[in-house]
Order: sequence, then C-alpha cells, then structure tokens
Amino acid sequence: MMLSRVAEKLYWMTRFMERAEDTSRLINAVTLMTLDMPGDATFGWDSLLKVAGLDELFFEHYPEANESAVMRFLIQDERNPSSIMTCIAHARENTRTFREVLPWESWEWVNELYLFAKKALPGELDRRQRYEVLQGIIRRRQSIVGLLSGTMSSDDAYQFLRLGRNIERADMTSRILDVSHAVILPTDTPAGEQYNDLLWMNILKALSAYQMYRRHISVHASSTQVIGLLLHDLRFPRTINHCLTEIADVVQALPQPESVMVSVRTSQDMLASANSEALAKAGLHEFIDQLQIGLTRIDTALRERYFRLPEIQRPSPSAEGASDSE
Amino acid sequence: MKIACDNYQVSDAFDELIGPDGHPRPLARGLCEYISGLGEQELAGRIAAVNAAIMTSGITFTVYTEAGNIDRAWPFDVVPRIIDAREWERVERGLKQRLRALNLFISDIYNEQKIIKDGVFPLEVLKDSKNFRAQCVGTMPRFGVWAHICGTDLVRHSDGEFYVLEDNLRVPSGVSYMLENRQLMKRLFPEAFGRYRIKPVDNYTAQLYDTLAALTPRPGQRPVIAVLTPGIFNSAYFEHSYLAQQMGAELVEGADLVVQEDDCVYMKTIDGLQRVDVIYRRIDDDFLDPEAFRPDSCLGVPGLMRAWKKSTVGLANAPGAGVADDKVVYTFVPKMIKYYLGEEAILPNVPSYLCMYPKDREYVLANLDKLVVKPANESGGYGMLIGPQSTAEERARFAELIKSDPRNYMAQPTLSLSTAPTLCEEGLEPRHLDLRPFVLQSDKLYATAGGLTRVALRKGSLVVNSSQGGGSKDTWVVESAQ
Repeated sequence: MMLSRVAEKLYWMTRFMERAEDTSRLINAVTLMTLDMPGDATFGWDSLLKVAGLDELFFEHYPEANESAVMRFLIQDERNPSSIMTCIAHARENTRTFREVLPWESWEWVNELYLFAKKALPGELDRRQRYEVLQGIIRRRQSIVGLLSGTMSSDDAYQFLRLGRNIERADMTSRILDVSHAVILPTDTPAGEQYNDLLWMNILKALSAYQMYRRHISVHASSTQVIGLLLHDLRFPRTINHCLTEIADVVQALPQPESVMVSVRTSQDMLASANSEALAKAGLHEFIDQLQIGLTRIDTALRERYFRLPEIQRPSPSAEGASDSE
Repeated sequence: MKIACDNYQVSDAFDELIGPDGHPRPLARGLCEYISGLGEQELAGRIAAVNAAIMTSGITFTVYTEAGNIDRAWPFDVVPRIIDAREWERVERGLKQRLRALNLFISDIYNEQKIIKDGVFPLEVLKDSKNFRAQCVGTMPRFGVWAHICGTDLVRHSDGEFYVLEDNLRVPSGVSYMLENRQLMKRLFPEAFGRYRIKPVDNYTAQLYDTLAALTPRPGQRPVIAVLTPGIFNSAYFEHSYLAQQMGAELVEGADLVVQEDDCVYMKTIDGLQRVDVIYRRIDDDFLDPEAFRPDSCLGVPGLMRAWKKSTVGLANAPGAGVADDKVVYTFVPKMIKYYLGEEAILPNVPSYLCMYPKDREYVLANLDKLVVKPANESGGYGMLIGPQSTAEERARFAELIKSDPRNYMAQPTLSLSTAPTLCEEGLEPRHLDLRPFVLQSDKLYATAGGLTRVALRKGSLVVNSSQGGGSKDTWVVESAQ
C-alpha cells in the first residue's frame, strides 16, 4: 500500500538529491575544465546557466554572469530552487514526511548531509574549497544511495525512489553533456584538437565515467565516442540509455502503467535513432533539448497516473445511476 | 561541571530526589552515587555524545516565532526523575478512574444529560462550552469511549501529594518524547539501569495500537490504521511521524483521504482507493471535516463525520471529546467520579475558583496577585495570568477580561511545583517540573509507567510547556534499587 502523496514525495526527494549531487558534479567538471583551458579560450558562464535552464531566473537577481556570481547562484542561493543548498533542504524536508517507509537511519544520514551543507556552503568558496566541499556532498549523497539499495526491500517506496533518481540523472547527464556547448575555444589553433579532447575528458570525469571509458572504449576522449557512450551504453549507470531502461523497468511493474509506458517508449525510440557521429558534428544541443522535453513528458504522465488521483473514483456506481434516472 | 548533591540548594518546594535535610531520598541514593562517581570528564563526554545524537536523529520540536518557524532540538536534561512504584500504583488507579468517569460524562452529555437533570452539573457551563459539538448529539461510539488517549497533567505540591492540573482529551502530545527520552537515557547511563528495576515505557506504542485496533468496524481482519496529521508545519509533526512509524500505521494528511458515497473512508494510493478502518487524528475538531465544522478547512476530510456517525470508521479521539477538556468542566471531575462511579476521587484536583459564580469571582478579583488565572479552553500555557509574577497593568487587563466573560475564566492558588536536580551551567540546581502520564481506553484501560516530565529550564520559572521553552527529563518508576 503506497499513498499517492508519499509516492510523489519519495520521487521528488530523490530527484532533489540527485540534482544536488549532479549539480556538484557539473560545477566540479567546469572548475577543472577552466583550469586546463588555454589563456585565450573563454568559458561562457552564461551558457552554463542556459545548460542548467536557469539563465532567466539568474538575471532577475544578478547584473552579470561572472564566475563568482554564477557559482553562488548554483551552489548556495536560496532564491534558486535548483541550487545545491535548496535541493538538499527540500530533500530533507521531504524525508521528514515519510520516515516511516524508509530504513530508520535514512533520516539521520539525510539530515547529516543537510547539516554538513549548511555549515560548509555559506560564505565565499574559493576554487579549492569549492571542490572539496562539493566532493563532500557527492560522497555523502552516494552513501545514502548505498544505504537505501543495501537495506531497503524492493517495495513500492523503493521503486519510486529509483524512478526519481533515474529521471533526474538522465536529465542531468544530458545537461552535463551539453556543457561542451559552453566552452568557446579559439579557432584555428593547432592546439584546438587537444583542448577538445580535454573538454570531453572533463565531461567524463564529471560523471565519474572516465575510468570506465578508458577501460572499455579508448584512452583518447573523442567527441563521437563520448557522446556515443553517454547516450547509448547500457553498462554505465549514468548513461541516458541506462536511465531510460531503469525507468521502463520500474514503470512496467507498477499498477496499470500503460499511459506512462507510452511516453517512456517515445523517449527510448528517439534515443535509439540518434547517431552519435552526426550529433558530434552538429545538432547535439537541439537533440538534448528534445531529450529533456521527453523526460518532462514522462514526469507529467507519472503525475497524472499516480500522484494526482481524481477526487472521486466510485466503487459503487449507485449514486450516478440514481441521478441519471431522475 | 561537577555533579554532586553536597551543595544543592534545597528550597521550600518538594524536591523529587533530595530530601529536606539535603541528602538524597532513599531511592535516589544509588543514582546520586553513580553520577558523582562518573567524574566530570566522563560525564561531559557522554552528554556531548547524546546531544549530537539528538541533533542528527532530528528529535525536534517546532517553535513558532516571529522570525518564522524554528526547528529546535528537544531540550533534554540528563538527571532522571524517580518515582516509587508503590506510590505510582495509586496514581495509576486514580488516572484510570478519572478517564472512566470522563468518558461516561461525555457519553451522557451527548445523549441523556442525566447529570444535568440530576443537578450535579450546571447547564449554563455546557451552554457556553466552546468544545461542545452539537453534531455529536445522539452518537454513541464503540465501548462508549470518546477520549481514547488522555494526557493528564499532574503536579506535586509542597505537601508531597500529586494534584491533577488538567486533562487533555483532544490531541495531547508529548508521548514520543517520553519514549525518546528513555532511549537517550539508555545510551547515556546504561550502567544505571543495572542498579534499578525501572518499569519499561516502550510498550506504549503497542498498547496504543491495540487501543486503536479495537475500534475497527471490520473485526476479524487486520485493521488499516492511519495517523491523520495537519502536516509538517505542525509543532508535533515529529510525534505524528514517530507514532505512525512505531505502529506500522500510515501517516496521512487530509488530502490523502476521501469519503465515498458508501460513507466509508478511503486513502488515495497508487493502486487506487483503499479503505481505512481507524484514524488516530491529530488535528482539532474545527478542522476535521469542512462539511460539519469550519468550511474553510483544507486540513480535514469532507464527510468524515458522516462516516464516523455511521460507524464505518473509528476515530480517536472522537470529535466532541473536548467538551470535558475545559478548565471549568475540570473542576467538576471529582463530582463526576462520585456520580458515575460511586467512588471518591483518588487524585485530588487543585482547589479552583469559578469566575461564573459571583462569590468566587469577587474573591478572584480581589486576589489576582496570588492566583493563577486560566481561560477555559486554551492550551500550551497561552493566555494565562500568573499572579505573583504579574504587573499591575496585566492584572488590570485580566480583571476586565474576567468581568466581560466570567464563564471563560477560572483561578487556582499558585502551587509550589516540586523540583528536581537539573544540570545547569553551574552544576545541579533545582528546577520546577510537572508530569504528563498518558492513559488509554477502548476495550481496556492502560496507563504509562510515569510519563513525560517537563522541566522549566529557567530559574524560578513555573512554565514547563515546550512551546514556551521548557525541557524534559526521563521519568523512572522504580520498583526497587538493587
């Protein structure tokens, strides 16, 4: 028995957690990337905001997208509903509302992550501190994932956690992939190709995918191969294909999943037809947009099917029958 | 921070652990020896560990302030209060007697009103009762029980006797802190548990489950039980979630429930609607059902009263039970016990003056500086006048309030609440305390061994409510020291 409201909260709790983790990953990747770039390359901080889908909101509060403003906005600004701090606070508040369905320690661990973030995040973080603190967040969040997968029955509650995690992860992997868009390398430099490799290597590192890529694919990080891996590879848990497969798995096992499955299949079909070689040359950004729209469609279908039950579902049709005959 | 009982300042108040001669009472001797034997460093280390545990396990209490709601860690004092089991046995009988009489009274009030006809209880008190629910007239819940969960506040006066201060029959809270306090204590002083035979409190949630399960309209199958909470912003949310978790019940909000044409209550689940048998509601009557009470409530469930009156769902506490949770009605409880049970009250009330009676009112107005004045239906320590600590201006304001609405006020002499050694910055100091045991009734009666001891943490203060900055202690009902 799973209350609709609790199912929705579980789903959003892991989405918030995953978003906090993946935003930390995104920022760490970008930080490492800017350290590697040649002097005449620029990093479009405003493009990073676009990648995160937060550019409009940002400019409501800040005049200029420089590094410190963008970092502050993404990491600790409470006016940003997707900032790491806001996500962790939301996840914690949500967890408080369904402690009874999770392993007992979960709340303590989530709370510990919150207390850590609350202590570490305020104040100006320089690049070095930033990296350390965000690693701390990733590590704590990963221990929560481990706790849940190691001590929780695969009941309905667990399935909704899995669902939220994979939807958000697919979305964030696509956004991290899109960061390539934000780097403007100087044209016609002989070193251009080498920096291009560095860029894709950092994208892999952001997803903790670099080592697996090297083991299974190549030592060199080429755009085609990285895009191919992150879209299609089923072995690595942060690829879009892996996430969509997990989503399909969970949804199929839920009661009356047909309407939701339609939208999951649409996204899977779109992914299957994607050619990484072509996308590496042109159109990656637009394709990622389409992917994100597909994920939003799945989210809407879930909400309509499981989270917002129509007020009246009549077990006995007698009342309706009576009014018809009058 | 030395814990020693040597230089403890004994006052005029009754002290729970230290006798008037400055020596520990017989049952407290072992505890005092044990604590002072621990050594300063050891003790400080253990307290720090427990405070850290309180923080991470999020045992919190939400306090409403102007700056928004603050989640405060539960203030916990490490020195337990000790009560002799032989003494407790009598208190327990008194508490059960009281709840039996109160439930008979509520049933009578919503049905024949014999007690009024027989001239034992005045009609005018009922007429102006804020918690009387006309919607409940003619209803008789299972076992004739309305208040299934009662939190009775007791204080010990300087004469050493326990007095009943009030009965909370609506949505009394605090029991989760009683349970958590014991858990914390076991982590803090495990060795002390070997020295005493302490009555356990952990079985409360199982007793609560049985009390609720007995109300199911579908006996014979495992009942579906839900705890109905106003939500995360309620100050007792921690407790709602805790109790649901401990009983394996569903924690629901109003919007999770729906009453169908068949007058049954259902929960909205991912599998569709599931029938609910018993609801332990933790929201006030006013908000329970917008069809029957406040139409603007979005916390409640439309049609819930309809379902309850048709007996398709059990509700604890039943709507309307608050009629006996009125500080004016309280003064009549000893008479109710005599009237319904033919027994003398085992636990005395605090002597009270009813402002509705001219003679009492005159006395109250003339002695405002000595009395505690309480409105009939507030809780959480709000809206009170504590005479000896009040200003002339406050007394003038209360005089006006009393004159304009005499039925709504009662007054009691300022009791000297008992004290117990409490760990303060300078070491052990006496702090005033009260006690809230919890009593359950459906087909059976049950009372907790001890209850929640609340402590006024400020020196000299008599206000122990958690919403007003009080703390708490573990309460030991001790059979013997070993």
